[in-house]
Amino acid sequence: MPKLIIDNLPVEVAPGTTVLEAARSIGITIPHFCYHPALALASACRLCAVKMLDGPVKGIQMSCSLPAQDGMVVSTTDPEALKMRALVIEWLMMNHPHDCPVCDEGGECLLQDFTIAGGHSRRRYQGDKRTHRNQYLGEHVYHEMNRCIQCYRCVRFYQDYAGGTDFGVTGSAGRVYFGRFEDGPLESPFSGNLVDICPTGVFTDKTGRYRARYWDYQFSPSICQHCSVGCNLAPQAFQREVIKIVGRRNDQVNSWFICDRARFDKKGINDPSRPREPKVDGEATDYETALDALAARIYDFLEVHGPESLAFVGSSRLSLEGCLMLGELAANFEAAALSFYGDPAEAKGSQFATELLTEQNVAAPADLASADCIVLLSVDLMNEGPMLAPFIRKASLTGTKVYRVDAPALPSEQRLPFDCLDAATLAEVPLETASRAIVVCHAARTPHEELAPLAAKGVRLAVLQPGPNGFAAGLAARKHGAVPFAEVLAAKKVRGIVAFESDLSAANLKGVTVLGCADWRTSELAQKAGVFLPTTTWMESTGTSINFEGRAQRFERTFRPGLPLRGLDAKYYAQSRYGEPAPGQPEVPPPQPPRIPRGEIPGGQEIEAWKAMARLLEKLGGEPIVEPLTGSWRPLREMDPEAGGERIFGLFKSSEPDTL
Amino acid sequence: MIPEQLRKSLEARVAHAFSAREAAVDVMKDLQFHYGWLTDEAVGEAAEILGLSRLQVEELATFYEMIYRRPVGNKMIHICDSISCWNAGYEKILDHLKARLGVEVGGTTADGQFTLVPCCCMGRCGDGPLISIGSTIYDHLTPELVDQALEIERLSGTAAPDHKGQA
Repeated sequence: MPKLIIDNLPVEVAPGTTVLEAARSIGITIPHFCYHPALALASACRLCAVKMLDGPVKGIQMSCSLPAQDGMVVSTTDPEALKMRALVIEWLMMNHPHDCPVCDEGGECLLQDFTIAGGHSRRRYQGDKRTHRNQYLGEHVYHEMNRCIQCYRCVRFYQDYAGGTDFGVTGSAGRVYFGRFEDGPLESPFSGNLVDICPTGVFTDKTGRYRARYWDYQFSPSICQHCSVGCNLAPQAFQREVIKIVGRRNDQVNSWFICDRARFDKKGINDPSRPREPKVDGEATDYETALDALAARIYDFLEVHGPESLAFVGSSRLSLEGCLMLGELAANFEAAALSFYGDPAEAKGSQFATELLTEQNVAAPADLASADCIVLLSVDLMNEGPMLAPFIRKASLTGTKVYRVDAPALPSEQRLPFDCLDAATLAEVPLETASRAIVVCHAARTPHEELAPLAAKGVRLAVLQPGPNGFAAGLAARKHGAVPFAEVLAAKKVRGIVAFESDLSAANLKGVTVLGCADWRTSELAQKAGVFLPTTTWMESTGTSINFEGRAQRFERTFRPGLPLRGLDAKYYAQSRYGEPAPGQPEVPPPQPPRIPRGEIPGGQEIEAWKAMARLLEKLGGEPIVEPLTGSWRPLREMDPEAGGERIFGLFKSSEPDTL
Repeated sequence: MIPEQLRKSLEARVAHAFSAREAAVDVMKDLQFHYGWLTDEAVGEAAEILGLSRLQVEELATFYEMIYRRPVGNKMIHICDSISCWNAGYEKILDHLKARLGVEVGGTTADGQFTLVPCCCMGRCGDGPLISIGSTIYDHLTPELVDQALEIERLSGTAAPDHKGQA
């Protein structure tokens, strides 16, 4: 283990660690642009210069590509190193436009930070700047090539890390250009990461340009709820609207990156037609009244039909808190049915995965990178867990064979970013010769009798869930004996349902009354519901989500729910000093927000689904519940949302359902 | 469209290579010889033969200064503008060439005979200033020697364009 001294502080690091990383480990940040922990070395920007005072190498060195060695004495503050870094900054700024005020990166720009830190405040170069033509890169990423400082991060990410082939670097010397062969949308499903990874404003998020500055945003650690991988991200909200979503580091789950669906799919959350008001028979009311009405209707229903004709329906969109609380709600009426899934294959598969998986046989996404044999078993990877693909690619590049068994046909525009072999059955794959084999499969599609023997053989499993929080739904289903809704319907006993964030189709609910529905999406079910309760999306909620590997991760509320200020209906402005619109004039809201202080946020009555359930339970005669994570779940309450999450297997004494 | 025979020979070259990228320069040079310059169509064909994307071929094509992505004249004139030739006074030679040919850097003469481009070092720094016309290098140049060189090349000009003959 090399021991060295950096700025008078002794530090010991693992062999192979670079001087830059060694400095970082003791809290010294050496300025850098091209260095990125997830990418291969480039040594392109020359900014991370340090002075080696003593040891095997001397003088000015690039710390990002210099392995730490015994006896090194490093100074990051030596006048010579400072001078070098200042000159590099000035040189990189030579061609960089002075357009920070109109650049969307301004305020969150590494180049801006280091230019100021390097003391470059006067332009000495008076010549012309190099200019480029920008390209159209699709509806997500905006290209502004003049700002480029040639750090090569984008191309190293796009081609090397993510396996894209349609974006790269052309030219040489002063003509280096980062782009595509011709204008057109970027093809990689990970293209949005260019926005995060570019140290300056060459790539900016087109879906959120010119809306707000970094310091305007409300931020929080959150977890993506598009699939069951559970990537860590941070939404950036401004005036109750999600403007951008950026990746957040979790080495075990998503490294530094997120897929384009996670980043750009904000429609549902910002949807202006999102149901915001509690309703009873279509009439808007307040939450308390709606809950009273629902409780009364449930009582009336039970009087007439009895508890065996009532079903509580949730889904894997609910948070862990929601899943547990729905179980409690159903348990309040002994004979009432509980469902998290409509489809029996999904329900059984999800539940089976929670029974089968243990700390020993489960594979985290990052484990794929070091696997020596990978099987994709009946899984549509790019839809059901796209962020696993870069890890599989990493393994594949080091020689690991990837097999596709019983693969669903890929749409023509989509390709896997790694080479793989097709095999007809699992038996054809030489799993016996591998010592770190991982099988990636889908809970609803892989027969259980195939999975259990695999786990017994020492093969590790990545069982993707049918929904984002499917693992939690599976656990709650086991604890409370949930049944797939298709079976509930087939038994023909159920006459009424209460649905919480359920994805049931209203089409096959003939003869079934929807007593209540709580959701943040518009759905047919919500239209049919007697009582409608609006709930918050995960970005407006604090809660816990469990990904496919049983990793509980906490997400925190990014912003308070309510109608976004942009496009706010004119009626909310009526009391402002602008007054009522003149007769005959259209109701155009004035350009400024209302100046009248209000007690509540317009359209801000939504609450987390579990809280709606808890309040309903209280109205139905239960105890008031302030904290849904009790018993075995208690340790999760104090979980740090930025600590990477923890696997839940250690929380339970045994795998018996009632101890869950 | 390239002749079937050329396609076969290129595919054979790729089959022998350790990796597709290793054969890329040879493939691009052959296609350039066929078309006169590396056309967009040729980039597409190279991509297909090499199993790369068009962008990945473009990355290589634009890196090398003897692969031409725009139409060029019969013979290429490369003039070294690196430090040794600059010390030896290449600028005077460049001005002379521009005046004689009636073109700016990057331009092609009206008769389509010559295209003038700068290059960065031909590895003979002791002999500067120097230029190459086609595959011939002319060194220790003075304006008079430049005129002679152009004359020689003009006379042999109608023969097969030899900058392409490097393939």
